Amino acid sequence: MSLLSSARAAVGRPSSSEHPPPDDLVVVPARHPWRWIAAAAVLIVVVQFLHGLITNPGWEWSTFIGYFFERSVMDALLITLQLTFAGAVLGFAGGIVLAPMRLSKNPVLRTTSWTFIWVFRSVPLIVQLLFWANLGYLYDRLQIGVPFGPGFFSFETSTLVSAFGAALLGLALHEAAYAAEIVRAGILSVDSRQLEAAAALGIPRLRQFRRILLPQAMRAILPNAANELVNLLKSTSVVYVLAIGELFYQVQVIYGRNGRVVPLLLVATVWYVILTAALSILQHYVERRYSRGFVR
Amino acid sequence: MIELDGVHKSFGTLEVLHDVTLNVPAGSVTVILGPSGSGKSTLLRCINHLEKVDRGRVRVDGELIGYRRVGNKLHELSERHILKQRARIGFVFQTFNLFPHMTALENVREAGGGIELLDRVGLAGKAHAYPRQLSGGQQQRVAIARALGREPKLILFDEPTSALDPELVGEVLDVMRDLARAGTTMIVVTHEIGFAREVADTIVFLDEGRIVEQGPPSEVLDRPRHERTRAFLSKVLV
Repeated sequence: MSLLSSARAAVGRPSSSEHPPPDDLVVVPARHPWRWIAAAAVLIVVVQFLHGLITNPGWEWSTFIGYFFERSVMDALLITLQLTFAGAVLGFAGGIVLAPMRLSKNPVLRTTSWTFIWVFRSVPLIVQLLFWANLGYLYDRLQIGVPFGPGFFSFETSTLVSAFGAALLGLALHEAAYAAEIVRAGILSVDSRQLEAAAALGIPRLRQFRRILLPQAMRAILPNAANELVNLLKSTSVVYVLAIGELFYQVQVIYGRNGRVVPLLLVATVWYVILTAALSILQHYVERRYSRGFVR
Repeated sequence: MIELDGVHKSFGTLEVLHDVTLNVPAGSVTVILGPSGSGKSTLLRCINHLEKVDRGRVRVDGELIGYRRVGNKLHELSERHILKQRARIGFVFQTFNLFPHMTALENVREAGGGIELLDRVGLAGKAHAYPRQLSGGQQQRVAIARALGREPKLILFDEPTSALDPELVGEVLDVMRDLARAGTTMIVVTHEIGFAREVADTIVFLDEGRIVEQGPPSEVLDRPRHERTRAFLSKVLV
């Protein structure tokens, strides 16, 4: 305040001879020595870490390179991608059904959705996967027919639910519970006046959801959905307990044979990092698509 | 054309509208005045069934809004039917409520209109701008064009200029004046007394959920019969 008033005073007396005219004053930015010191300290740690990565023979970079594009690793990578893709599609399809159910005025739908989300968020994925894999102990046959009545088609559980099927089922149900909450958060983030405007225009309900609500909800859904997708990608590694040849299971098989644990864990790590980077790039473009009208 | 007959509306224990009876002939402009909390907005929202009335009837063009009479009973209409009824009643909100992810033209198209409606409110040149790129006055004019998209029999305006900077009020009132001149049936909740005096056929003064008095501007504004109307006008006309 005193600076301001003295500046105003200086402007008020342009004839003052001790001070040069205001236009000639040079602005000197404030110095930040601690920024330089902090940056230097962090750089030293980073460089030391990189030095260790290169020079420590324990990483066995040559072994890493040898296995990185190895045939069985590539096949395992494909299975990881399949599990991620199918889990995401089924999970979000479930989430898009569960979220409006949970927001519904119908108490049966609301309670069912709430219970589903509660149960499948509570059970650890690994426990759930083992449950599905052992479904045959609970129900040795599954049939489609009239509820509590006669059945038309009947299957042996073990033929219907393979290890891969059990893995997919577990991932999809687990994912659906999380996706439901992400979609619900998105729906709640849209200003209620938007739906009121749509209702006042007489736009049909389904069209309101598709054209007005969802595109705006997507802005809040996308960052969380991308987060969840990355989580899912990594969660597929848990599926190793069902002896499915995805990435993590496959590198375990290889190092079980040759004992080169660290470079093979590194193979899996680097692939997970690359896939996550790819998802992040995808996220960037999809988010840009849905920011239409929200940036000046 | 619009008939309200003994309309009551409460929110919980608070009675917002008490026995409101009102007739609005086709092609006329009715301005509703009243202090804050007097039930003006609720009255408008009852006409297009954004709020359900507790008692009484709302008719537009002789058609009961929100209900179907079967014998001695009123059956609430399905949401699909209510949406159809609403399509013929335009509504302009205080906060515009344009769809932010759509351009001006897309907003109007969503209601079934086209570029000619943007032209009518003088914004054909802004067809491809998003709401966020428009001033408040322009947004409200797009919202009016959008409301016209359904070719409504009637347009309800809920304080259309209250959220605008003072210098932008005029352009919105100009558009409304044009609509009135073209014979659009309008019910307007506003605090713009000048506009009311110039454009309204009827002025309705509402206080604590009741219609205190109604009549042409020359009577209600210049020779109010009720003390409450006089008190309100003396505050607004300063």
